[in-house]
Amino acid sequence: MIYVFAVTLIYTFVKKKEELLEEKRNLVLFMLLSVIGISLGIIYMINPYLPSLTLMLEKYMK
Amino acid sequence: MNREVTLRQTAFMYLFISLSPILRQIPNAVASEAGRSGYLSPLWSLVPIFLLTAILIAVIKTFPGLNIYEIMVQLIGKFFAKLIIFLYLLWILLSIVSKINIYALTIQFTLMPQTRSNYFMIILILLVYFALNRGAKTVFRFSEFTLGPILFLFAVLFLCALTRLRTDYLLPVSTINIPSTIFASKDVIAVGGNIIVILFFADKFGITITKSQIRKLWGGVLVFVILSFVITIFTFGITGADFTASASFPFYMTVKSISFFNIFERFEVLVTLFCVLSDFIAICIMAFLVLRCFEWIFNLKQGKIIAVPLTVLIFYLTYYISSTQFEFNFLYRTIIVNVNLIFQYVIPALLGFLCLIKRKKIQKQF
Repeated sequence: MIYVFAVTLIYTFVKKKEELLEEKRNLVLFMLLSVIGISLGIIYMINPYLPSLTLMLEKYMK
Repeated sequence: MNREVTLRQTAFMYLFISLSPILRQIPNAVASEAGRSGYLSPLWSLVPIFLLTAILIAVIKTFPGLNIYEIMVQLIGKFFAKLIIFLYLLWILLSIVSKINIYALTIQFTLMPQTRSNYFMIILILLVYFALNRGAKTVFRFSEFTLGPILFLFAVLFLCALTRLRTDYLLPVSTINIPSTIFASKDVIAVGGNIIVILFFADKFGITITKSQIRKLWGGVLVFVILSFVITIFTFGITGADFTASASFPFYMTVKSISFFNIFERFEVLVTLFCVLSDFIAICIMAFLVLRCFEWIFNLKQGKIIAVPLTVLIFYLTYYISSTQFEFNFLYRTIIVNVNLIFQYVIPALLGFLCLIKRKKIQKQF
């Protein structure tokens, strides 16, 4: 799935290049969200059995 | 006047997005908190939900044609408005992620236990993408047209179930149970607080709001309370409070035992369908709100340009938040309900209070 998302992100970037490059803020936001999303995806791909945040909270609260 | 969205449509949307928590979470939560008398909890929730609605109407009337961000800018300044909107953004992100999670879990639990949740999530994301491409009005219209038939089907379902209702599962209830039922009503209040969504769309209602539209909103709130009360009473009356407290989707189990004059049965598929539709609309609305929050915080001209990276982020966040039904139940009961109360009641109440203090100054402006 991460490959599909990566290709979609590149496609969107190319398609909306003018709007994104129009203002620095747009580009920074787009890149920041893309990097966070892809990083989460890579971590999930490497280890899909990572404990969820709820599980950690549950352990911490008990 | 041709408005983008009307208050009446928002009332329908509010009822529609509340449908899945009413069917899935409320009976289970009130049974766990208040036991056999838990079905009385939705009645207590009427007071805070009506109060919240009154505050929201007062705020909208004081600031006609402005949305929550613009209202906050007027009341507390740009910096604090952005800060609170950022907190709202985090809350909506948490809600959308948990909604996607429970949507996938519901389909897995009821219809397709062998299929992986990724599949449901990808289909959902595609559907949300197509729905949002058509604009928010399409989503509102969909809930407006679909809610009527759903409520009618519920009425038929309840008529069929009347004979199966066991009074010994519901009675006796004594005054000792009142404190626990009041405490358990927070689970209903946390769902009923979804009415806050109207503040995010308040700029689309136009400058004037008619009395009939306000009546529709009050009606929507009243229907919400009645619907949650009736569904809880039927779940308790047919399956019993103990089973309702332990099952993850008690209303689904309840409907399994209902048949239409022993001719038609297996209505539980309809319950799954209603939940899925309600989740779909809720996710569409939340996605729209997330984009609006980004527009307000970062002064974006068009929030749509960040839709794809945001989708990727939300998709993977779903795996990190919770992965099983037990985890979701814990997340919902301990985190989501309490956080909902803050964002749906505490912040709007503060806004209402500020409105009251600055009323004279505001009246000169508008």
